[in-house]
Amino acid sequence: MSLGVCDALASWSRCALSRRAEKPGRMRAMAARLVTASSIVAAFATPASAQDVELHGFVDFGAGARVVDDPLQPDDLLLSEARFQLDLAHYGERAELALKTDFTWDGVADRADVDVRQATIDLRAWDWLDVRAGRQVLTWGTGDLVFLNDLFPKDFVSFFIGRDDEYLKAPANALRLTFYTPLVNLDVVATPVFEPDRSITGERISFFDPGSGQLVSAYSAPDMPEPERPARTLRNGELAARLFRTVAGYELALYGYAGFTKQPTARDEPDGPPRHSRLGVYGASARGTLLGGIGYVETAYYDGADDVGDSPFVLNSQWRGLAGYERELLPDFTGGFQYYVEHVLDYDRLVAGSPAPDFEPSKTRHVVTTRLTYRLLQQTLTASLFGFVSPNDGDVHLRPGVSYDWSDALRLTAGANVMLGDDPTFFGQLEPATNVYLRARYSF
Amino acid sequence: MRRHLYSTPLAGLLAAAASAAPTSAQDLTSVTQIVERANLAAYYAGDDGRARVHMTITDAQGRERARDFVILRRDVTDGGDQDYVVLFSRPADVRNTVFLVKKHVGSDDDRWLYLPGLDLVRRIAAGDKRTSFVGSHFVYEDVSGRGLSEDRHELLETTATHYVLENTPVDSGAQEFAHWTVWIDKATLLPTRMDYVDEAGEVYRRIEALEVEDVGGQPTVTRMRASDLRSGGQTVSEFSDIEYDLGIPEDVFTERTLRNPPRRWLSVR
Repeated sequence: MSLGVCDALASWSRCALSRRAEKPGRMRAMAARLVTASSIVAAFATPASAQDVELHGFVDFGAGARVVDDPLQPDDLLLSEARFQLDLAHYGERAELALKTDFTWDGVADRADVDVRQATIDLRAWDWLDVRAGRQVLTWGTGDLVFLNDLFPKDFVSFFIGRDDEYLKAPANALRLTFYTPLVNLDVVATPVFEPDRSITGERISFFDPGSGQLVSAYSAPDMPEPERPARTLRNGELAARLFRTVAGYELALYGYAGFTKQPTARDEPDGPPRHSRLGVYGASARGTLLGGIGYVETAYYDGADDVGDSPFVLNSQWRGLAGYERELLPDFTGGFQYYVEHVLDYDRLVAGSPAPDFEPSKTRHVVTTRLTYRLLQQTLTASLFGFVSPNDGDVHLRPGVSYDWSDALRLTAGANVMLGDDPTFFGQLEPATNVYLRARYSF
Repeated sequence: MRRHLYSTPLAGLLAAAASAAPTSAQDLTSVTQIVERANLAAYYAGDDGRARVHMTITDAQGRERARDFVILRRDVTDGGDQDYVVLFSRPADVRNTVFLVKKHVGSDDDRWLYLPGLDLVRRIAAGDKRTSFVGSHFVYEDVSGRGLSEDRHELLETTATHYVLENTPVDSGAQEFAHWTVWIDKATLLPTRMDYVDEAGEVYRRIEALEVEDVGGQPTVTRMRASDLRSGGQTVSEFSDIEYDLGIPEDVFTERTLRNPPRRWLSVR
């Protein structure tokens, strides 16, 4: 069922860790994206619509370095990047077009890249249906950096090395249909080609390998097998749905997901390549005002492919639960608190069948999170702290940050990612990636 | 004798009415009536409305920042609950951020914020009504109105042009001021100046209507200023493309609008 530490992981992700990213085909994929991007730009530039196109974007420079030694990594630099985002939009009465493209120079990997964050057409031709087709970032659920029913792709490398929070969400090529009825609304998101998380691969950030019982990196273990993606057939696509309605100010939702584990946590044999195993998720959430703040609860059942729990290499089923509360504690000072629990079913059989039972996750992982935000100087200066603490696994992740709006256009940000704990724990294994970073963004 | 006792109050009332009539036919003497009518004039013009808003925020050092947004409003009941949608177009980093408020008189408002970069619908706590609205010197309560029952109202003075009222919070710990004074124009019933007074008796914050125009028969503040008298910072809001009674449907004020703002109602870019 489980790959040990990968499944000991926190709340918001099954496991941010996987094997190395595939390199072959990178250039080809990048070229394809460039072609897609430029053809959409060309479509925007047709004379009929040119005058209605809004052009925005930003230039972002980021630098960050680890402050703890990682002997497995050749470089202490984790973030050294220039990012130019070009954001084109056309707003029509019945249709909207959007193209948001990031052009990046990554000084750590020493490479240029193009990442299309959004390339969508929105149709709003019907009273009862909204359509968004194309490459898009998707989010739902109630948690704050804790995701139960949101199985849309995430980028954990960005999350830990100090990129803007919005880069935690990665785009997917999908079709989103939202149906509105007087009784209830329904979201259906079809992702024809499975889109996995952008995982920690051992480049930049080392991680714990339960097979060898130690931390590994792309440099210390260059022969790690590449993860296998599900074959590109329609049957291997992803389908997510949300049934939602607001009743007397309380937002109620039911969720369903059919696809694969977003991280390659499964294996067919101990030394084989990691792969994504089948996954179904069913859940519910409620959110509303509570005692002058916002309260919410969410739960999800993860139906893993290993029904009986005896395969140590495929995800067991789990229950996950979340309760959160947020309110203003003082003027311009907001506090948010969450309690998250992840409970592995058929745990005894998992441990009995495991080649490395010591590295298996806890049967029940508890995580408490806190978000404190203080805004000063007419909200131009924001100091914040987000913390994850697992009282039973003993690992901690702190995200302190300060950002200052020098002007409407220029924002300066400084922050840190602190990871603490013993090796097999989720955040503990990332301790050598503890870092500080600086960013400057000019928006236009 | 019995008749005399019986008739005196009636005679008094008639006398009062007779004496009031020749001096000023329009003067209101009931505090409740004044605050209710001022509230309707300031926040409930028409059954719905739309305006483009440009805010210029100036800090104590004279540095300027700008906020541009379109605001839609719909009254659920006149003088009661209201729905608001705000779509930002400036500054660039908050472009397409949408703010949805379901204002409830007598209970907490429901408020949502949509962040397009993350496709995230956030729920915002209602407790921070006295928090700055998008970094300006206006607070949320200035935008959507302060509940009339949150203050005790006293008519201090009726001048040739204004009613001057002092408003003292019922719950003294719930806001940063001790009381506030409002000047309400007798002709339009619009509040034209509000002075906020701290515990020491100092006026530290002022809101002024700088320009009032007739928009489709509704006297409307088209330029207003909020000043922080302690720091010297101020925000000027300018309203344009104002329209009332557009017939904006109820379903524009729902989560659907957060993710997919209806340009038909918001296209005054």
